[in-house]
Amino acid sequence: MKRIASAVVLTTVAALAVVAAPAVSQPKVVKIGDLGSKVGVFEGYGKYQTMGIQMAVEELNAKGGVLGHRIEILSEDDETKPAPAVRKAEKLILQDDVKLLVGVVSSGATMAVMDVTKKHKTIHWNSVSCAEFMRTTKFHKYYFSNQPDSRMQANGLAKYIVDKMGKRVYIFYTDYAMGQSDGRQFKTALEKLGGEVVGVAGAPLDTKDFSPWFGAINQAAPEVLFLAFAGTDSLRLMTQLHSFGMTRKYKLAGIDCFLLQQDLPSIAEPMEGFVQLNHFSAYNPDKSMQAFNAKFRKRFGVDANIAAGAYDAVHFWAAAVEKATSFDPDRVAEAHEGMCREETHIGRQCIRKEDHQVVMDMHLYQVKGGKNIPIARIAGTDSIGEPMVGRDPVEGFSWEIKKKN
Amino acid sequence: MSRVVTWRVLVAFVALAALPALPGIPTYYLLLAFDALLFGAIAMSLDLLMGYTGLVSFGHAAFYGLGAYATAILLERGVLSLWACLGGALVVVGVYAAIVGYFATARRGIYFALLTLIFAEVVYTFFRYTQTFGGSDGIQGLPDAHLWRGVPIDTPQRKYYLVLVYLAVAYAICRVVVTSHFGRVLVAIRENEDRARFLGYRVQRYKMAACMISALLTGLAGAIYPMRAAFATPDLMLWTESGEFIISVMIGGLGTLVGPILGGAFFTILRDKVSSFVDWYFIVIGVVLVLIVLFMPKGLLGIRRLHGFRQWRQGA
Repeated sequence: MKRIASAVVLTTVAALAVVAAPAVSQPKVVKIGDLGSKVGVFEGYGKYQTMGIQMAVEELNAKGGVLGHRIEILSEDDETKPAPAVRKAEKLILQDDVKLLVGVVSSGATMAVMDVTKKHKTIHWNSVSCAEFMRTTKFHKYYFSNQPDSRMQANGLAKYIVDKMGKRVYIFYTDYAMGQSDGRQFKTALEKLGGEVVGVAGAPLDTKDFSPWFGAINQAAPEVLFLAFAGTDSLRLMTQLHSFGMTRKYKLAGIDCFLLQQDLPSIAEPMEGFVQLNHFSAYNPDKSMQAFNAKFRKRFGVDANIAAGAYDAVHFWAAAVEKATSFDPDRVAEAHEGMCREETHIGRQCIRKEDHQVVMDMHLYQVKGGKNIPIARIAGTDSIGEPMVGRDPVEGFSWEIKKKN
Repeated sequence: MSRVVTWRVLVAFVALAALPALPGIPTYYLLLAFDALLFGAIAMSLDLLMGYTGLVSFGHAAFYGLGAYATAILLERGVLSLWACLGGALVVVGVYAAIVGYFATARRGIYFALLTLIFAEVVYTFFRYTQTFGGSDGIQGLPDAHLWRGVPIDTPQRKYYLVLVYLAVAYAICRVVVTSHFGRVLVAIRENEDRARFLGYRVQRYKMAACMISALLTGLAGAIYPMRAAFATPDLMLWTESGEFIISVMIGGLGTLVGPILGGAFFTILRDKVSSFVDWYFIVIGVVLVLIVLFMPKGLLGIRRLHGFRQWRQGA
């Protein structure tokens, strides 16, 4: 039992050391948190999110920071899981006192982190996650998003698919918040437009072998295969679909974060002809997009991608802080509402007051030779839909397949 | 327990209870302390099985996760009573542990480890695929539990005291178990199972009982977790979580009870600090574990037995 005394001493010393360590802080510095996947299935998105934030902060600091404070970034890895994401969000907010949290990547983790940012009244920008709950049932006044959510994407994609690709669609999605949300919204939008969903299936996040689902897809004989996956899941899925000859058999379409532009050259053949909605492509001749890409390329030596959203998020926040002349979260949140930024990579972006969703245009792209080539532009006002804060986006929805004669 | 022992336990408890009263202690460190003590308590529960009975469980995450889901399901449905959550967890984990224990304790060594792992993977997969329980995203956005009507466990201080009380109770139970005749039989089984059987002990019953106590204590820890994190996800049941519990026991020192508490706390704090600096923090933890196994086979608690320390202490 002498061990107990030792245990107490060790624990107390450790606690005191931990408490004493962060006591010193720099004057005139404001910290912001970058929380994203640095390893795992969504690693690419997290790394580019960091780059986007970094570029924005460098620009702001070069102009004197925000409210005379130099901005400092603290990056943390959420491991693409809710538990580490919450732990790290708490660390960034409670220990590091960040005034802005950008992240995270996985929708499931973002929703868990939203509880933390709501509880601790911290401005929270999401630039990658797209589950529909974030601007409906999980919405809170400190949360903002410039990532087109599932409803916006579905509204944008469904019409093109019905008009140009085919009416018989099979929906295959990753079975967690993001994929389910994309699948639901796409099914709803497609059926409204007269399309027919001939089958739906969900595969768990980080599935290694997708072939068990291929039989059902082939049996349903769709014209179009709609895929709601992201990250390394998409890479594996496309490789396997291709090896089963299904990339040539069906027309393929997918969500905006299906694969990053950087991934496409290595998987160009399976992805040939793939249609996806996106708000950025380095191969879009649009002047604003090229200007942003040139800036990004000069700084990091690589093309930008949808992580451009993180760059805009930091600029929105900085502008809101300047407008509020304070870091007070309530005042900064109010200052965000209705704010617009001109000449971003996608032109004008405005924050809708009701659900803090950024209204922005998107493009439909088709992969040709490993490049996302624009085929249509969709106005943000056409795709955003009505605000649904507090309303259950799943209410009345059914995965049931409605057979058409 | 002797008077001296009781006094020391009280000192330890009072010291930890005083932590929130430290001037200027940041809220984050109270939450970190919660995690550290909870992890320590789970490692201690596992030590009962690993250190005292000689059974390595690779499936403790399932007990932990089931406890967490029991609480999450009740809180989500508006049952806010702490006692109902703990009771629910005891029932759910108890039933599962009885099934796992019945089959797993019939086997020894690697077969016991494999059976616990397989059962845990089945449970993990079930929760990951079942949309009723939120699938991969689990159950999120849970309200605070209430100690009793009108007394929510809503502040970091209250949550900290909740886990501290749980740790104290769990420690007392484990200490009583290992110092009893029952505990000595467990050690006998660990040392030589055949001889224990030859002496007339019904070995499987003892192993089963140890398994149940360990599982229920781990399940209670799991039941407390959503009261702090406000969610329960299938990741809590993943085999890597079981691996972290085992690592904590190894770091702290097998068969010591206090050692795994230290090991769990050390692991939690190390993970928190290192992961803020490097993405590959598990390599650092791996190196620490290798060093401990090589140079401190008795774990952190064995640090006092390092060369010269005892002599120095005696000389002082």
